[in-house]
Amino acid sequence: MSGILDAIIKIITWPPLWQLVVLGLLVPLGVVIFILWFERKTAARVQRRIGPYHVSPKIAGGLQLIADLMRYMFQEVIIPKTVDKFPFIVAPLAALILSIVPVVAIPFTSIKAYFPIDMSYSLIISLALLTLSPLFIILSGWASNNKFSIIGGMREAYLITAYELVAVLAFLSAGAITGSFNLVDIVEAQSGVKWFIILNPLAFAAAFIGVLLSTSGFPFEIAESEHEVVAGAFTEYSGLVYGMNMGAAYLKRMIFSIMITVVFLGGWQPYTPGEGFIAGYLVPSIVILVKATILMMIFSFFRAVYGRYRLDQALDIAWKILFPLAVLGFGLGLLEAYLGII
Amino acid sequence: MSGIIRTQGAQVGFNDLKLPGMWSRKIGKDLYEIFIGPQHPGSGHMRIVIRIDGDVIVEADPDMGYVHRTMEKLSEVRTWIKGIPLFERMAIHDACNVTLPYVRAVEKLMDIEAPERAKYLRVLLCEINRIAAFLYGFGIFGVFLGHSTMYMWPFGDREVWVELAEWLTGARLTHSYPVFGGVRRDVPAGFTDALRKAIRYMRKRLEDYRKIFVDNPVIRARLEDVGVIPKNLAIELGITGPNLRASGVKYDVRLNHPYEVYDQLDFEIPVFQEGDAYARVWQRVEEIKQSLNILEQVADWLDKHPRTPILHDKFWKTAPPLYKKIFEETGRAKLGAVYAIMKVPAGKAYERAETARGEISYYVESNGGNKPYRIRIHSASARNALVYKYIVPGHRVMDLPAIYGSIDYFPPEADR
Repeated sequence: MSGILDAIIKIITWPPLWQLVVLGLLVPLGVVIFILWFERKTAARVQRRIGPYHVSPKIAGGLQLIADLMRYMFQEVIIPKTVDKFPFIVAPLAALILSIVPVVAIPFTSIKAYFPIDMSYSLIISLALLTLSPLFIILSGWASNNKFSIIGGMREAYLITAYELVAVLAFLSAGAITGSFNLVDIVEAQSGVKWFIILNPLAFAAAFIGVLLSTSGFPFEIAESEHEVVAGAFTEYSGLVYGMNMGAAYLKRMIFSIMITVVFLGGWQPYTPGEGFIAGYLVPSIVILVKATILMMIFSFFRAVYGRYRLDQALDIAWKILFPLAVLGFGLGLLEAYLGII
Repeated sequence: MSGIIRTQGAQVGFNDLKLPGMWSRKIGKDLYEIFIGPQHPGSGHMRIVIRIDGDVIVEADPDMGYVHRTMEKLSEVRTWIKGIPLFERMAIHDACNVTLPYVRAVEKLMDIEAPERAKYLRVLLCEINRIAAFLYGFGIFGVFLGHSTMYMWPFGDREVWVELAEWLTGARLTHSYPVFGGVRRDVPAGFTDALRKAIRYMRKRLEDYRKIFVDNPVIRARLEDVGVIPKNLAIELGITGPNLRASGVKYDVRLNHPYEVYDQLDFEIPVFQEGDAYARVWQRVEEIKQSLNILEQVADWLDKHPRTPILHDKFWKTAPPLYKKIFEETGRAKLGAVYAIMKVPAGKAYERAETARGEISYYVESNGGNKPYRIRIHSASARNALVYKYIVPGHRVMDLPAIYGSIDYFPPEADR
């Protein structure tokens, strides 16, 4: 009996499975539900409302999001006659999967036994995987065969060209400081208070705003801006598929937050992974996820403060301010490496 | 208008582009036609057909009339008093302002004038309505720019004014407050104190609005130099109200053609020269401040003067003793039966007033019967709507909600 139990535990805690399903999907889903609740509650607080309340008054409306999720799940999925069916259905699925896949290339501990894949080039691999999912948003816009969807997809395409270079350069500045593309080395280099947010605030700022741009966070909620393009690329979607589209954006933001945590906020530091599954894998994962959740909370608070920029203004900001900022951050990283600060 | 597929007659649609399962029509090289409205989240009860080249709008075609309710015709088959609740439906949150010129025009035909206290009470409700309507416009504007806090705050603060109006008149929105020869109710006890408190509160809140919305860098970037209405274009198109004043024309019916007691009140109408969407926001903020000043003066006047009849003698003398007793006890003037059967001497009258969205004017013609012969209304929104055709082209698609919101267009008022 205990043999079977051990085997099950072994399968569940097998790093690739554990990381992709638990750390990549289940935990971020829980965090996303919490963040959506938090977003609505803080916005309500700022706007002198109560926010979600009636579904579960005792835990301040915490179950409202579960109720919303169920509504999406049981709603009829309408596939209009005019859409291109195969890409219409496959694109949101692919976007969802591709937004959680990068998590396999992110280390949650420094112990080699708990790496899902070899971590030598993990920074490059995770960044490369992160840049794939927006392509499928464009595809779903095109497949919808709706004017608003196509405009929304085009806006997404404009924004990709704007933020991708910025985000990649900003994250790579960590590689410039440490001289390594190994995320484990990058985290280990941030021991003590040498977090890269302090050593390289320029790159952090560029990465932070780049993530806002890439995940349609306010003030850059442009591709889905309700008042011109209804729901952007997702206009024709309904039910669970629409929910997946929305969930993919938040999951992507969560994965990006984990990336920022690992690269700029010291990963599992100040904790040092010890022996065994709990001390060596679970605790450092929790440290990272808590930091990422705090980052998510900051992202979602912007909804209450800002309106949205115009598309051309967002592109202006990306190319004229963020891109030089990211290049400067990269230069600063090289300078610090030259001076041997690490 | 073009773009509509005719279902009756030979032409049932266009299929120029041979798209499967949908109609399509060529409108020009590299142009893309989008219908914003009438069920689009970014439109009101109207449609704006825009043609875009890339991200730039090259043509805009406002298509009004989706909430037309034949008000002018309906008024011809109703007795005079029923016109008041009817015309209120143009802009229910601005009810006193939009019905006042009708009441005044009929009073002019009957050659009567409301008592002074009633005039002050009318101004009181007019300014309360004006503030509430501006706040309503701010809320819509905020959500158009994606600023959810600016959506919630003005709608919440508007409640203060709506409840004051309810306390004064008994109805939150369609007050039917000014009637021929006066008003329906006097101020309740303690009303002026609550009004002063609301004025203090609103002044504080305007400062909060400035911090989170008007001076917000994102909002400034969205609004500055967007949707500029040049002074000469504003005059040419006949734009009225805050939109006209934000373009540098000092015209306000309250100043230029004072009605009720506006000539006895001390207020200054702000004028901005820029004419862009940002100036229109500031214009409305400043006008709320002026309305608060007016309300303060009205509250002072009401405190100083004892309660006197609020209906003209022509109507009040026919009131039974019970009605007079009720008025003495509660300040409510119950309308006598004389209103139901009243006839208005034959003649023509023209009256105007300044609503929250600009000048509204009524032409009232009577043939001596118990119903109007003809009523013609020219509302502010109908005049302001023209502006979309001229100022939207050249802007980007994302500017359309900013311009739409800054004009504060209210379709039911325009369509009547």
